[in-house]
Amino acid sequence: MADQELKSKVEELIAANPVLLFMKGVPEAPRCGFSMRVVQILDSMDAEYGAIDVLPALQPLREVTTEIADWQTFPQLYVNGELLGGADIIQEMYESGELAEALGLEQPEVAAAAPAAAPANDLPAQSPPLQIE
Amino acid sequence: MPVDLAELQSMIEAALPGALVVVSDEDGGGQHLRAEVKAPQFAGLSRIDQHRLVKAAVKPRFDDGTVHALSVKTEPS
Repeated sequence: MADQELKSKVEELIAANPVLLFMKGVPEAPRCGFSMRVVQILDSMDAEYGAIDVLPALQPLREVTTEIADWQTFPQLYVNGELLGGADIIQEMYESGELAEALGLEQPEVAAAAPAAAPANDLPAQSPPLQIE
Repeated sequence: MPVDLAELQSMIEAALPGALVVVSDEDGGGQHLRAEVKAPQFAGLSRIDQHRLVKAAVKPRFDDGTVHALSVKTEPS
């Protein structure tokens, strides 16, 4: 069973952040290709989101998200309290325009198969990463 | 334990009768598996729920460590 204290903390974060990404690494430096893909997609849409680096507590967080959302792999994108998907689903929803709809944003004009990496000097503003003890 | 693609395919087919299932090994090394599934059961479900059905079908192979990563593409049929 998952750590219930950590679970409550995660549930609070999900409730407090309309768009919340659990990822490996931080948006400025993703540590996994799948997490990077979701960050690039969100950034290409100028989405505002909170991000949590799962690496410091990978296994406990895996147990928690399994209980909360029946999902154990990262990244995980929560929108309005619900798990929307991992990298595959987010990519598909991005390409089809469903992601923009779910986030209440405009679909970028060039929704290419994979957004090009943002140039280093042109990073959109981001909320600072959230910390879990 | 080597990955048995045919077994994964039949596990998904058994969980989703009537589904069209293709399981492939994208890099040939068993590390990046991909399942494309068209199933009547997906109608009306969110993508995440469609994926949950596929992942649940092959869960025993995740649990025993045979499969590490499975990318999934679903479509209602």
